[in-house]
Amino acid sequence: MSQIRIIRIHNELLGTYGDQGNAEVLAFRAKFHGITTTITDVGYNDPLPTNGDIYLLGGAEDAAQLLSLEALQRGDNLNILHFAIERGAVILAVCAGFQIIGNKFWANGKEVGGLRLLDVHSVPGDKRLVGDIKTISTVLGFELTGFENHMGRTILGPTAQAFGKVITGNGNGDGKFDGAIFGNIFGTYMHGPILARNPELADLLLTRATGRKYAQITDPLALKYATWRRKVIK
Amino acid sequence: MRLKLSILIAKLAGTLSKRLLRKSGETIPGRVLLSLYSRAITILSQNRKIICVSGTNGKTSTTKAIVEIISKLGSVTTSPSGSNLDRGVATALMKKSEYAVLEVDELHLPRIISEAKPTAVLLLNLTRDQLHRMHEVKRVADKWAVAARNAPETIFVGDVDDPFVALTLNSAAQSLRVSFGGRKHLDGAVCPSCGVYLKWSRNNYKCPCGLTNSNPDELFEAGTAAYRNATLANVTGKLLGGKAIAINEQALERSVDRDYNGVKANLRLTKNPASWAEALHSVTGENVILIVNSREVDGIDTSWLWDISFTQLSGKRIIVCGERALDIAYRLHVEGIEAEITSNFDGAISKFAEGSFVHVLAAYTAFHELVSA
Repeated sequence: MSQIRIIRIHNELLGTYGDQGNAEVLAFRAKFHGITTTITDVGYNDPLPTNGDIYLLGGAEDAAQLLSLEALQRGDNLNILHFAIERGAVILAVCAGFQIIGNKFWANGKEVGGLRLLDVHSVPGDKRLVGDIKTISTVLGFELTGFENHMGRTILGPTAQAFGKVITGNGNGDGKFDGAIFGNIFGTYMHGPILARNPELADLLLTRATGRKYAQITDPLALKYATWRRKVIK
Repeated sequence: MRLKLSILIAKLAGTLSKRLLRKSGETIPGRVLLSLYSRAITILSQNRKIICVSGTNGKTSTTKAIVEIISKLGSVTTSPSGSNLDRGVATALMKKSEYAVLEVDELHLPRIISEAKPTAVLLLNLTRDQLHRMHEVKRVADKWAVAARNAPETIFVGDVDDPFVALTLNSAAQSLRVSFGGRKHLDGAVCPSCGVYLKWSRNNYKCPCGLTNSNPDELFEAGTAAYRNATLANVTGKLLGGKAIAINEQALERSVDRDYNGVKANLRLTKNPASWAEALHSVTGENVILIVNSREVDGIDTSWLWDISFTQLSGKRIIVCGERALDIAYRLHVEGIEAEITSNFDGAISKFAEGSFVHVLAAYTAFHELVSA
């Protein structure tokens, strides 16, 4: 595959916490590997593109989160996501987006059913969790840093695996784990944006999306930035 | 403890802090006063006309403009520059005057409205800013709306092109809705009043629930943020019986000219996506220094740098510094723009030759350090 289609879902709704940068970092890293990319912004009223390779969801306020959920349940959109997962497409969902792709979550004081793409459910906590976060990814074997800002407590079901083991911060709420993974579906509470702070994760998502191994990239600034964040978040 | 004695102690504390600790002495008196006499703001607000100014961007300069207008009507006290929490308000109110023009932090505004019972509240705008503290834009707007509903004696003036300001004005018994012909809003996808997808046609919104920027009480032509704030200051001043002043956009944009050993610099405050977008438009020269910090008042997270497109800086000489220089450098890098990284401002400015002109876009804390130096 020499071209990757990146689908940024509802950035107008799920773009409050800077996560739109994830698409830009993916496109930027892909260029080093000789892969061309397109970034498609899907609006609230637009149907989801059927041929995406990487689908991205970001953090949002409650009302926006509910609108995004409603739009993703409309028409063929949910089927399109199911087919995408079957053909090996990658989903990266952050914060409110992470909750949306789970089984159920709370927004504006009530519980709603999610897209059930990832076996997790979220409930509101009693206090907002705000601050730097560092984890060690259990599956990938490297450290991740980011910034969390959420009320959610996320509980993993039997088929989901934790994304990272928390070193600093709270993650899913218990201070032990952050996020969840199932196949090529990644959920996390980390903003930053997460791919800007952890470029190796961007490379991994590109590998997963194409099924190809790529040579290591030399981008000293990306490495310097990622290393510095891992060092300063104790 | 009696109020008069509390004020005396608070003033003494301010003087000591200035003399012994060499602090500005602006927030200490208010802080001491509020701890000794918690109802101080309520009592000290009685028998005078209070005007509050709040919003994400433009508070300090707009407050100054209103002070200029009101000072022709009678004696005025105002908040110490940038000190806009309850203690800054308390410090300002310790001085006797007929009028008080107060700059108020967005989250502190509801408390100040309920205690000071202002004659007028001017709301400039509400956009994403310091989300580690504000959490959500809508959360702040909801607090404003409740405060407005509970203040029937107060007139709320605001720019209804901002849906969050419009929501607040709709909740008020008395309001003056100002529009500049509509403009896009980064956080305007959802109706803050009813939660549906907000319908925009070009720069104007109209929700089935009734929230809209059409039919304002006063309509002005579109312009820069500085022009809008000056206009809003004049509209508010007029309500109190003041005469409009000429609009000096440069004075209102929080920009300051400085000379560093022959290098001319224009320093500008940039603290969130909206103020960055405004400032980037003003960059006409070829040399730029960007300073990003992440202290409490700057916002301790830098994710929002990715909300901004810096392509306007492409091709210019860019030097970045500050505590989060790497964050901004990498953000630019991904947009295909390379910057030089230096450890501090002195290092950055010394890279330019005598006689050159440099735009300095600085985070809140960096701007204040440079301006007060």
